[in-house]
Formats: sequence, C-alpha cells, structure tokens
Amino acid sequence: MPKANQLPRPTDAELEILTVLWGLGPSTVRDVHETIARRKPTQYTTVLKTLQIMAEKGLVERDEKQRAHIYSAARPREWTQQQLAGDLLQRAFGGSAASLMLGALAAHRASPEELAELRKFLEEYEKGKS
Amino acid sequence: MNHLAAWIRTPMAQSLGWTLVHFVWEGAVLAAALWAMLRILRAAPARRRYALACLILAAMPAAFAITLAVIWALRPVAAGVPVHWVAAPLDGGPITGPSPRFMWAMILDRLAWAVPVWGVGVAFFYARGLASWAQVRRLRHRGVCAPSREWQARLDRLCTRLRIARPVALLESCLTDAPVLIGYFRPVILLPLGCLAGLSVAQVECILLHELAHVMRQDYLVNVVQSLVEGLLFYHPAVWWVSRVVRAERENCCDDRVVETMGDARAYAATLAVLEQRRALAPEAALAATGGDLMKRIRRLTTESRGAQTSVAPAASAAVLLVIFAAALTALPAKLPNVKRAYRPAAAPVAMAVAAATPAPQQSAAPMSTSYEKWLREDVVYIITEQERAAFVALTSDAERDNFIEQFWQRRDPTPGTPENEFRDEHYRRIAYVNEHFAGSVAGWKTDRGRTYIVYGPPDEIDDHSSGGSYERPPEEGGGKTSTYPFQQWRYRYIEGIGTNIIIEFVDHDGSGDYRMTKDPHEKEKASTPYRKWLNEDAAFIITEAERAAFLKLSSDEERKQFIESFWQRRGEPFREEHYRRIAYANEHFSTGIPGWKTDRGSVYVTYGPPDAIENGDSRTTRWTYRWIEGKGSDFTLVFTDSDGRGEFRLTNEPGEPQENVPPEDAKLSLRFGAHSVVTVLVPLGSSQDHFHVYLEITGNRKIVFESEVSGQAVFTKSIPLPVGQYRLAATVKDLDSGAIIRPSELSLDVVNGPRPAWGKASGREYGASSPLR
Repeated sequence: MPKANQLPRPTDAELEILTVLWGLGPSTVRDVHETIARRKPTQYTTVLKTLQIMAEKGLVERDEKQRAHIYSAARPREWTQQQLAGDLLQRAFGGSAASLMLGALAAHRASPEELAELRKFLEEYEKGKS
Repeated sequence: MNHLAAWIRTPMAQSLGWTLVHFVWEGAVLAAALWAMLRILRAAPARRRYALACLILAAMPAAFAITLAVIWALRPVAAGVPVHWVAAPLDGGPITGPSPRFMWAMILDRLAWAVPVWGVGVAFFYARGLASWAQVRRLRHRGVCAPSREWQARLDRLCTRLRIARPVALLESCLTDAPVLIGYFRPVILLPLGCLAGLSVAQVECILLHELAHVMRQDYLVNVVQSLVEGLLFYHPAVWWVSRVVRAERENCCDDRVVETMGDARAYAATLAVLEQRRALAPEAALAATGGDLMKRIRRLTTESRGAQTSVAPAASAAVLLVIFAAALTALPAKLPNVKRAYRPAAAPVAMAVAAATPAPQQSAAPMSTSYEKWLREDVVYIITEQERAAFVALTSDAERDNFIEQFWQRRDPTPGTPENEFRDEHYRRIAYVNEHFAGSVAGWKTDRGRTYIVYGPPDEIDDHSSGGSYERPPEEGGGKTSTYPFQQWRYRYIEGIGTNIIIEFVDHDGSGDYRMTKDPHEKEKASTPYRKWLNEDAAFIITEAERAAFLKLSSDEERKQFIESFWQRRGEPFREEHYRRIAYANEHFSTGIPGWKTDRGSVYVTYGPPDAIENGDSRTTRWTYRWIEGKGSDFTLVFTDSDGRGEFRLTNEPGEPQENVPPEDAKLSLRFGAHSVVTVLVPLGSSQDHFHVYLEITGNRKIVFESEVSGQAVFTKSIPLPVGQYRLAATVKDLDSGAIIRPSELSLDVVNGPRPAWGKASGREYGASSPLR
C-alpha cells in the first residue's frame, strides 16, 4: 500500500469514478456503474476492473464486510483537487482559460473582505426573510 | 536578425508601426467615450450598457484597421521609405552632440521594433488562448459525472421556458469550484460537485437560469470574438478595461434575466453569496484572491434602480458617440476624402460575428435532439398544424429549428412587437395546469381532459359529479333518474370553429381518476352497459327515433328488458333471427381491426341484407347490387374498395376511388341513409394511420353532439337516429398526431317522413352526388 502522500495521480477514467464516489459517498460497483452509464455507455466489468486497480493503487478503499463490496474514495475531493491543481485546475481557473468560460461567479475567488461583506449581506437577508 | 531589421523598414511594417502608435490615442479616446456614456447611462438597463460596451469594443479593431488602411494609402510612394522613420544622418547640425531632431529620429527608429514585439505578443496571446480552449474542452470529459435524471429534466424545462432549443447538458465536475458554461454548439453546464446536494432546488434553478441566459444570448460566441480582440490589441490597457466592462455587464444582463424569470432578486443574490462562500471553504492551490466584483452585482441586484431610465440618456449618449467619432476622424493624419470610404469596413467585425453565428457545416443535417422532439411531440402537439409539422420535421439543423420555434410562437402572438408572447405563456400555463391537476397513470397533458384544456382553455363551467351516484337526467338525455359513474361536464360558451354552448363529458369508468371523453351522453350511466350495447350496437341500424327516445327515458334495467322484448315482438321473431344472423355474418366475414358489423360492408349488410349480386372487380374492389330496397327504389350499386390491401373495404362512390389519397383539407361529409330515420354519417379522414378526434354537431329542432376518437380507420362512421325535421350538420376532425384541424364542413339535410332525405347544398358542393344510394 503506497503512502498517502504518494498516491499516484488518477487517470481520466479513475478521476471519473472518484468524482462519482465523492458525489454519492461510499457506493457499490453497481451504483458507480449506473451513474457513469448515464453519461456514456460503459460496461459494468470495466468499472469493476478500474475500481479494483484503483483499490490496488490506494486511490479507493474497499469495504468487504458485506456481500456487495462498498468502495469509497481514499482521499477527499479537495485533496485530489490540490494534487491536480498544478495540472488542470490552476491553469483552468488561474490562467486565461477562465476567460473562455462563462459563469455565475467571477473566475477568481472573493477576497476575505468581500467574504465578510457577503456574510453580512446573507445575515441581513435571512433576518429580512424571517 | 538582419532580415528582421530590413523588414521593419518596409512600407508594410512602417504602416503597421504607425498604426500601433496611433491606436494608443484612438483606444484611449474610445475608452473615454465609453466611460462618459456609461456615466450618463448609469441607470440604463444592463443590456443597453452591454450593447454600448460591445460597440466600443468592436470599434477598437475597426479603428485599428481603418488607421492602417489610411496610413498605407498615404505612404510616400516615391521614396519607398517614409521620411520620419529614417534615422537622419548628420544633417548639418553641430557635431558636438545629437540634435533634438536626431534624438526624435532615433526614438522613432527604435519604435519600429515595436512591430515585431507586437507580433510576438499577439502570437503569444493567441497560442495561449488556443491552449486554454483545449483545456476547457477537456473539462467536458474529465472528472465529471452526470447528475440524476430529474436534474436534467429540470434543466430541459428551464430551456423550454427560455425557448432554448439547443440541447444543454448538465454535468457535475470535481474540477470546477464555480458553476460554468462551456461550449457554443453543444453547451455544457458544469456544476461543482456537491452543489446540487448542498443548495435548494430553487437556488440551483437560479444558477442554471443564469447559465442558460448565457446560452440564449449567444454569449459564448461573443466571448470568443472578444478574446480575439483582446489578443490583437493586447498592448493597450483601454482594450482590457473595455473588455472587462463587457464581461461585467454581460453578467448583469444574465442576472436581470434570472430575476425577470424567478422574480426574487434578493433570493437570487443570496444564492450567489452562498455559492461564493461555499467556494471559499474549499482549499485551493495558490490562486490569487484578486477579488471578483460579486459584491457589486449583489448590491446592484438588491437596489431598486435596475431598469429605471430617463429617455434623454440614449440620445445624449448617441450624441457623445458622434462627437467622439467626428473628433477621431479629423484627428487622423489623413486626407479626409479617403476616410468616408475607408470607414465602411467598420461593420466588418459585426458581419464576421453574424457569419460565425450561423451553424458550421458539420452542424447541418444534425438529427433532431430530444428537446426538439419533445417540443414537437409534447409541447405543441395539439396546436401545431399539419403543414408546420411537416416543415419542422424537414429541418436539418438546430439553428433552423430554433428559428422555426421562434417563428411558430411569433405567428401566434396576439400582440406582436411586445416582448411578451401571451399565447405562448398561456399555452405553457395550461400545460403546467393540466400536468398538475389531471395527471394519473399518464401525464396530465395526455389525458382527455388535459388535451381539451390545452386546446380550448379553461371551460366556462364545470359540472362536477366526481362522486357519481344518482343523477337526474335532463330532458334531452331522455329524462328520468339513473345512477352514474363519476363524471364531469365541461361547458364552453363558445369555441371558435366549433360553435356555441359546447358541452363535453368526461367519465371515469373505473374510478382511477382517468376521465375519458365520451361521445355518448349515456356512457356515464352505470346500470346501462349491456342495454347501451343493445341500443348502440344490436339495434343501432333498425331502431326508430321514437323508440330510441322512449328507451332512453327508462330508468331501471327491468323496464329496459321489457322494452327490448316488446321491440322484437313488434317486428316478429323471424325478423329478429334474420337480424342477428346478419350481424353474425358481418362479424364473421367483414371484421378487420373493427368488428364486422361496424364496417361499411357490415353496416350495409345488416341494414339491407345480402345483396342480389356481388361482383369482384379485382382483389381490391367489390360491387354489391341490390335490385330493390324497400322505400328507396330499385337498382342500387355500391362499390367497396380496399385501398391499402389490408382487407378493409370502404364504401366508395366510384370503383377504385383511392380513399386514402383524399387530402384532409378536402374532407367532406357524405351521408348514407340507414333504415328508418337513422342517418349514417361518413367522414373521410384521409388516412387510416393517424388518430383522429371527430366532433359532430347536428343542429335543428334539437342539438346533438357526438365526439369520438378514431384510429385505424380511413372513414369515420356514425349512425344517428334523427326525428323528422331540418338539420344542419357540421363535422370537425382533428388529427391528434399532427394537431391539424380539418375545418368544419357543413351541410343541411332534411329528414322527411320515411327513409329518403332531401340533400342540401353545403359550401356550394352538391352532397347528393357523394351519396352512394341515389
């Protein structure tokens, strides 16, 4: 079992499975397969095989207590995101790619001062509502 | 290097260099103009401010191009090399030090190097843009998973509401920390993982609406063009500033759209704030918190000034714009006569944007995606005409379909020219209403009541007997008392194209809540089922009107039983036997998809008995000849044609007349005479493939309305007992698959004592000619 901080970077297929696991929480292979199949046709056995490989790599953990094995992501999403950040996220959001996406929020995060202001606004809003 | 040094002294490079220099002030002037106008238009709607900023941004490359063209046209042709750029050698000044003029020349000489530097910069920005584009594309596939189907369905509904016909996909991504929209031809909305679970449905819908507003406004495309302009004129801060204004106002436009649709600006602002807070909670790798302008947007959303505007402002801003342009033109180091002509290309960027907006070649012949299918098969199925339907199906690209849908609603807009389309809004309201109120085992819009509501709107009156039970029959239904299934009567005072005081009945036969439209006012009557069958099937062709009326007045099954006994006694046992033999014979020999006695040949056989001669022309045609029919005369020939080879012989006037090819527009009524005063109405439907809803209205001494759903038949047949009198008969046929309504044909008819009607004229057409029994 590799050390936690040496986990290999997930491949695209592995990242997709991790995404599902982060979204659903600990899941059976069937759950994962169903979610992935919603987006693209995928064989159940492919998902199973990938999950087994990921378990070997330490990317996911397997709970074998029940008849249907339950898989869960070994690391939280944020951890992996950070790991990937140098690769994709930062370039996507810090770099010029941000200007190629349209979003409800600005490409860059709010500053601490702005966040404080936002919190104040939300508090007032909640008060006004009740 | 030597090549480059030589190149920068060519007229081309020199012109470019001067253009770069001139654009410094041109860009500044344009930006200043925008700044001034935005101040004047402070209170204007965001979309106007956005349009203005876009205009200025487009004017920048235009100004650049014009300047280049003018300088190129004015280059000193004789010298080949502009004087200004020559590093003047010692021109007779003192040798002790460089003269100011020499210094100036030196500076200019250095400036010539700006061209290659600029070129490298542009290349850098474009290369970076291309790389970013490739990365953004990967976000579609990497680290994403599809949300549950309900979310995609919700998104589709929102698309419908915003009239976005392009399919928009929804994915959850672990690589974004904010909701983003990517792609133009196949837009995808990426939501950060956990966003769907962490926010309320209304909040997520706000976010989706914001992104869909981008789709609707073609923002993605504008944004790409904008990035190209930024790259080209990257060296000028004014360009970046204007571009930022465009981006900010674009978000404001979308915010406005969300608020227009959802209504609650403060709730939406709160959603944005929550989203930003959630983002701040997630750790992030070394991204500079440069500060967005979210707070500005929230303030804007929550203060009231949005949309308020004085009428002077647009004029003022236009004036400012005009003055600025005039100033810019005179300031150009050019002879003005050239300018006017050269100025035209200013429209070029706009034209380019339009060209890019039309679908790329690979988009043509795109198969119809589900959202369009849904639009056709659900949203407008009851209201789209046959021609429109055919036209829509023939379209090959999504852009055309979008356009078609736009036009479809525009044609129906009662107040063209206003942004609201009352017809469309009302239509979708009706759909929402029926889905909410009439849904059972099938969706509300598919039920009979749903369809009626969607097509004709809310009824003027609903007589609700949803508990069923005892029911006082009104005189026109025969009077008396009976017990019924749960039923509802909907009354419409007026329906265009159909008539006034229309009553439609819906009966729930099995208590499932699934109310079916009925053609027969007695269908709701509980006890009458076997007797109703007797009335409408067994004796349909032979019962007289008086007998029928008497039968309907009965209220107990015992009475009905007695009535039937005396009915047969009056006619004698041999008659009864022969009658049932005929029905059995017809059912045995003529049954196809429908029972034999109901077919054309069956009804003739049951009414008139076996023909005296049967002559089979070919396998598709058969001629029946009767030498004598009581009360009608002698020598009748009836021609039945099996037009589609499926064994369904239809009564046709001429041998081989292709009934199937009768276009629905030409649908006409032909009347055939049954025994006694039973009139059989034949309505050619034009096609046996489709489902039809047939509405018959007979007005005279009394009014009779029949409604029926027909499928698998090319001719609708209905036998109606009529007392002596004068009538007008109108039929309206609706093709349920296409929604086409066949305009009512009307004809008048006299039912005289005895079986022979006097044929009247309808719409100038002699209907007697279409009667097979002359």
